[in-house]
Amino acid sequence: MRGRTFLSRGRALPVLVWAVSLLALWELVSWYLLEARHVPLAQSKLPYVHEIVRTMGDYAPTLLKEGRVTFGNAALGFLLGAAAGAALAVLMSASKRIEQLAFPYAIASQMIPILGLAPIIYGIVRDEKLSRILISGYITFFPVALNMLRGLRSVQPSALELMHSYAAKPWSVYWKLRFPASLPGLFGGLKIAAPLSVTGAILVELMGAQHGIGVIMLRNLYYGSSHAYMFWATVIVGALLGVLSYWIISLLERAVSPWQPDFRAKGGAR
Amino acid sequence: MTMTATTVQEIQLEQVSMRYRTDASEVLALQQVSLNIGRGEFVSLLGPSGCGKTTLLRIMADLLQPSEGSVTVAGKSAREARLAQKYGIVFQSPVLYDWRKVKTNITLPLELMGVKKADRERKAAELLELVGLEKFRDKYPWQLSGGMQQRVAIARALAMEPEILLMDEPFSALDEFSRERLNEELLSIWSKVGSTVVFVTHSIPEAVFLSDRVFVLSPHPGRLSAVVEIPLPRPRTQEMRNGPEFFGLIAKIRDSFEGV
Ligand SMILES: Nc1ncnc2c1ncn2[C@@H]1O[C@H](COP(=O)(O)OP(=O)(O)OP(=O)(O)O)[C@@H](O)[C@H]1O
Ligand SMILES: [Mg+2]
Repeated sequence: MRGRTFLSRGRALPVLVWAVSLLALWELVSWYLLEARHVPLAQSKLPYVHEIVRTMGDYAPTLLKEGRVTFGNAALGFLLGAAAGAALAVLMSASKRIEQLAFPYAIASQMIPILGLAPIIYGIVRDEKLSRILISGYITFFPVALNMLRGLRSVQPSALELMHSYAAKPWSVYWKLRFPASLPGLFGGLKIAAPLSVTGAILVELMGAQHGIGVIMLRNLYYGSSHAYMFWATVIVGALLGVLSYWIISLLERAVSPWQPDFRAKGGAR
Repeated sequence: MTMTATTVQEIQLEQVSMRYRTDASEVLALQQVSLNIGRGEFVSLLGPSGCGKTTLLRIMADLLQPSEGSVTVAGKSAREARLAQKYGIVFQSPVLYDWRKVKTNITLPLELMGVKKADRERKAAELLELVGLEKFRDKYPWQLSGGMQQRVAIARALAMEPEILLMDEPFSALDEFSRERLNEELLSIWSKVGSTVVFVTHSIPEAVFLSDRVFVLSPHPGRLSAVVEIPLPRPRTQEMRNGPEFFGLIAKIRDSFEGV
């Protein structure tokens, strides 16, 4: 069950076909805009894929270095936000009072546009690293808290009754029942939050940081069409960082809760 | 082990009634049920679907508070008995934890009681053999059939050798062969451990084969309509199932239903 990877499942081929056709189409349209229609700034609108790839190769050290800064800060913020979100979920599940107190604020906090919050935080702390961490954590907090709370509440009454019949201590009920039952919810929240936390960190960098993938993204946007390939390269690296974060969480999920319904064999193979 | 004057009472129900209230209506699930179960006795609750067997069992287990009446377990309240971890319960559905494999589902109550790992392992091996699931010890519950899941639940209830074993139709998901084998196994465990067993079933032959006494319940509202002594000698054997005494008892219980 665990060894059944993406590749060995025979799902790789259709994905590959799709990817290749999409890239081919892209190249074709790009050529059409540039060579056939002579559209102005054609390469800023839809640059050649092979040129972007070449640029990414040429500037790999820079992209890697800046990407690592963004990812590192986002990851730290993500971890802190996830821990805080999980902690609040536990508190809310333990006490209706705390839930009634905290829940409206948690919802309200989601009404603040991140685009506005990022410069405010940056203006207050005046430290790009800390701002990135704070925004990533802030974005992570809510989906994790909400989904974990739902997970903690998902416990069947009969499963609780079993614990009750053995006069299990509240601590045991949490540790042996509520926590494991909340794992699917927790990971659901983490998977939503991980790419968002990367996006949040990039957003902070656009506010005038010195390092990070967002910084070179912004710079190359300013330099104009001559830097179109580099700009696109940074966008792609940003997207890849998001994918990477999602992928890490998915791997972790498989390792921590291989029993989840999502991972169960379908059909005859067991 | 039929009731004698010297038998110690384990479970006593006094005029127990249970009303379920929903927004619109009210169901009288149990009406003034009084019964005594002796320590070490094996009794069955028998009756058609909806007559309140599960309700009665849950009241004995302190999972449900009766609307009226009192429950005494070993001279104390049901709550005290539960807190003293006297109960092992097999619910009508298996209630296994998805994240635990078969073995650790079985040893869950031992974990909760703080039994050491080595002892848990030993007990698990013993119980897995008993319910015939040695090969499935490292499977997850969803990888088992319904009957196998129910056997895991039975093993779990037996793990701590409870003073009081409450079983709600534990074998109803099993085929006739496993059922008869487990009937015998249950009796042999019971004779070793000496638990008091309250066994819910729909099956008259099963109730007769296992029990010292059969409590016959009738529905709407649920009440105790007859108590039938089963004077078959112990240990019970498969041959008894074919004897005239066995059939006589089945007929007697059936009559008590028709009298309802
Ligand atoms: N939680 C509940 N809320 C309302 N009514 C209930 C509830 N539980 C049971 N009842 C009602 O109480 C009656 C007895 O139910 P109970 O589950 O005890 O029956 P049972 O004898 O165990 O039936 P079965 O053999 O089908 O398991 C039924 O009429 C049922 O509708
Ligand atoms: Mg029932």
